[in-house]
Amino acid sequence: MKRFIAAFAVLALTAGTAFAQTKIKYALGDVLGIDDLPLLAAAERAKKRGVEVEITSFKNEDIATQAVINGQADVGQGTPYAALEKVNVPIRFFVQLWSLQFFPVVANEHYKGWKDLDGQEIAVQGRGSGTEAIMLLMAKEHGIKYKNISYVPGSQVRALAMLKGNIRATILDSTNKNFLLKEGGAKFTVLPLGNVKASDEALFARLDYLQKNQAAISVFVEELVRVNREINKDPNSMVALRKQLGLLKDLPAKLDDDIPTYFKEGVAGGIFPNDGGGENAAKSDLEFYALSGSIKKENPKIEDFWHLAPLKAALSKLK
Amino acid sequence: MRRWQIASFALFFGLWELTGRWPVSPAFPPFSNTFLALIEMIRDGTLGKAYLITAQPLALGIVLCAVAGIAFGIGMGLSRAIEWLSLPVFIILQAAPMAAIIPLLTYMYGIGLTSKVLAVIMLAAPVIVMNSYKGIRNTPPSLLQMCRSFQGTRVQEVVKIVLPHAAALVFTGLRLGLAMGFIGIVIAELLITPTGIGDLISYHSSTADYPKMFATIASIVAVAAVSLHLLQRVELRLFPRD
Repeated sequence: MKRFIAAFAVLALTAGTAFAQTKIKYALGDVLGIDDLPLLAAAERAKKRGVEVEITSFKNEDIATQAVINGQADVGQGTPYAALEKVNVPIRFFVQLWSLQFFPVVANEHYKGWKDLDGQEIAVQGRGSGTEAIMLLMAKEHGIKYKNISYVPGSQVRALAMLKGNIRATILDSTNKNFLLKEGGAKFTVLPLGNVKASDEALFARLDYLQKNQAAISVFVEELVRVNREINKDPNSMVALRKQLGLLKDLPAKLDDDIPTYFKEGVAGGIFPNDGGGENAAKSDLEFYALSGSIKKENPKIEDFWHLAPLKAALSKLK
Repeated sequence: MRRWQIASFALFFGLWELTGRWPVSPAFPPFSNTFLALIEMIRDGTLGKAYLITAQPLALGIVLCAVAGIAFGIGMGLSRAIEWLSLPVFIILQAAPMAAIIPLLTYMYGIGLTSKVLAVIMLAAPVIVMNSYKGIRNTPPSLLQMCRSFQGTRVQEVVKIVLPHAAALVFTGLRLGLAMGFIGIVIAELLITPTGIGDLISYHSSTADYPKMFATIASIVAVAAVSLHLLQRVELRLFPRD
């Protein structure tokens, strides 16, 4: 009897550990939206393979990053390069979800092109954000200087402020650019953007966590890459996949049409990497985020910011 | 007394240093690092610039509250009709969770200075109005009766008895209103658009520069505490307690 109890206890303990190893606590610094559909699909598929991804929405990326730093979350989403460089806990990116796709928008009553923004006020997401970096890069390219940059977090808030006339020039994500053009029609113009290639959303975790849980992370990464490949093959596939897996059921019906539009635009812009980004994404990121001022170190090295082993393991299974 | 106050600060900062070095969390810096960050921010002028920006809506809000709020509070105290009409509004405003309401201001007034000034007013006004109102209402009836028995007019009653008697409470209202104004402006700068002190807190949080983030927060706590303490001293000098 004693032996039976001991064996049962060992079994229960092992099962418990195995369960703990296969649950990934995922910190998202935003509410779930259309752009998170590939993540949700990959999480659903990973669950079927024994890796549960528990997604928690936080108010913003900073809090999600802090949750990872403090070990309350295993994986975070975003591009907190500045935080990674400063914090004394080794944290590494391991896969790119999608690259930057933003649209500088102006109220054409006041401005027609980049040159008109010389000496004018613009609004971006936040200090040191990717949106600010893009706008500064463009200012450099066009030889102009803004009078003032104000920080207005949330693409949706900036789109509404544009509609109300509170701001006249800003930079928006795809969903809100479409919303603005739909609501404001001919009043707004999207300015042309040069070739900016850097991560908009990438996944990061503590290095010790990645090393200890490489098997589970690789399964998750494999599913993320698989979903991206399906989207790139057929941008409409997300519509069917959403139905099949029952994702974002409470999304208002009027937003249904936005799903194919978002993914078509994303595929056309080449934002969903077929290879999880990897070394190329890391290189572009280091260049871009150094330019934006997020990375201060001179000649930053990829291994200081990225840990590519889980992605390599995942890609070897996908071939 | 002063020695004990210094000992209390030393104990607090000592415990902060210890917990920071332990560490409680990688995001919690020791006191020494925070203090050095504070000195750096004062030296390079970032803190001064941020305070100049934050002070603008705070001062505007408090001045508006001081003028309109005191007038309104006195009106409420003197007129039953104004009291009946507006007392419930201020009681509700005092009880409402402002952190939930302030972000709504952006839908009506956008993301600029107006919303921030309104945030300060929404927090400070109820305290200022209610104190002025209570100051008027607490005038001892015996003094009023005395004035009437000397055939004093209503104007004389208000100017010579009611207002001087209410002055101490009105001033207390102003001081407490400023304390609420500090809360209002920090919430507004964190929740509406990051500017001034709110920008420093959110920027240093996003770049994981925790010593600077804590230094900014500690500085606003210190500025608020010192200004309130100074106001209290002025108050005690103007209206000595019996």
